[in-house]
Amino acid sequence: MSSAGADLIRNMAAGDRDAFSPFYDRYAPLVYPLILRIVRERADAADVLQEVFWEAWQSASTYDPGRGTPEAWIVTRARTRAIDRVRSIRRRNERFGAPLEEALAAPPGMGGDAAQRAADRSVIRSALDRLADVQREVIELAYYGGLTQTEIAERLQQPLGTVKTRIRSGLERLREITRQQAT
Amino acid sequence: MSHDPFDTQAAAYALGALDGEELAQFEAHLGQSCARCEATLRDSRQALAALARETPAAAPPPQVKEALLGRMAATGPAPRRRDDLRAAWLRWTIATVAAMIVGGFLAGMYVAARYEARLGKLARETSALRGEEAGLRERVALYQGVVELLRDPATRVIALRGAGPSPEARGRVIWHETAGGHVFVAKLPPASPGKTYELWTITRGKPSPAGVFQVDGSGQASQKVAPVGGRVDVFAVTLEPAGGVPAPTGPIVLASSKE
Repeated sequence: MSSAGADLIRNMAAGDRDAFSPFYDRYAPLVYPLILRIVRERADAADVLQEVFWEAWQSASTYDPGRGTPEAWIVTRARTRAIDRVRSIRRRNERFGAPLEEALAAPPGMGGDAAQRAADRSVIRSALDRLADVQREVIELAYYGGLTQTEIAERLQQPLGTVKTRIRSGLERLREITRQQAT
Repeated sequence: MSHDPFDTQAAAYALGALDGEELAQFEAHLGQSCARCEATLRDSRQALAALARETPAAAPPPQVKEALLGRMAATGPAPRRRDDLRAAWLRWTIATVAAMIVGGFLAGMYVAARYEARLGKLARETSALRGEEAGLRERVALYQGVVELLRDPATRVIALRGAGPSPEARGRVIWHETAGGHVFVAKLPPASPGKTYELWTITRGKPSPAGVFQVDGSGQASQKVAPVGGRVDVFAVTLEPAGGVPAPTGPIVLASSKE
């Protein structure tokens, strides 16, 4: 299946600069809120956003539609870069608890109308909300907090094996929910 | 070896949560083109990408796109290369270094100009905030001083009435004989160029200078007044040459009534 996003990436790979602008306009509004949620600081989020799209432009030729949608391609890149950034900030600050608590707390006013967002949420119930609490917890710690499975185990004071199992079952459930929504 | 550990590792890998030895193990396994793990990764990334839509909306800052378009203009067409997702960081670095060499001054100067502009803006905002903070601190200190004075039963509040050229001007002196006090004035027109307002404490008919001040755009001013080491019969404000004078020469614009 060839989507508009995949066509844009193919044109970018051919060196077509005109394809970049619509590609950016299509995906930046999707990945920026996620980057901001992970790195928290707007200045850092803007840097990461630029890095992600620059990288996407540079390596458009490596996109393989068989390995995922353009959305998954760009979101994976964005998450990877945002998590690299928070990990390096954390190493620099050597303070672990506070920023992480913030990262996992409900996001601050990020623009948009609260009532509208609430309405959107009631229509499309959050996929995360449909996970078991223990599954959601480990996935959020990794997805928004950038923790590795070992760090999650330490933080939750759970055996590593338990954390691995929760990650696996949580993702199985998420994949199932995504499949349901697709059909 | 059973495939089961790889199913577990694939989930953590898709989340970016796999670490240590297991990460190396799983990547080695992926290197052998495991179709099953590739499918798990593809579906997991798809599901995780969908979560991005659940994040509250936030508009990307417009300068990011501008910067990217500028960078593209400065560095030429996208290079074609084979990808390896794990080497993305290294590749990005090499690409950036190469682009800097090729784009040379153009790219360097463009980035420098952008950051300089941003830094300059930040510096201006910071110094404006500092100035604002200093102003606020001063006001808080002033109000604290006044509140402390008002707590003391020996403190008096003396009204000043407009006179001469500014009949509608009003003022208050909060006065404590040993601690000094503050004068507050309102509705006083700004002093003409080269002039200033000067406060006087008058004891037994003899005026002593008690500081010069200017009013703000709304005709208000507040000023600390040092104690004079005794009682004061009258407070008065005159219009004087800039810098103030040792004895009043100009018209009285505000005065308290003699007690």
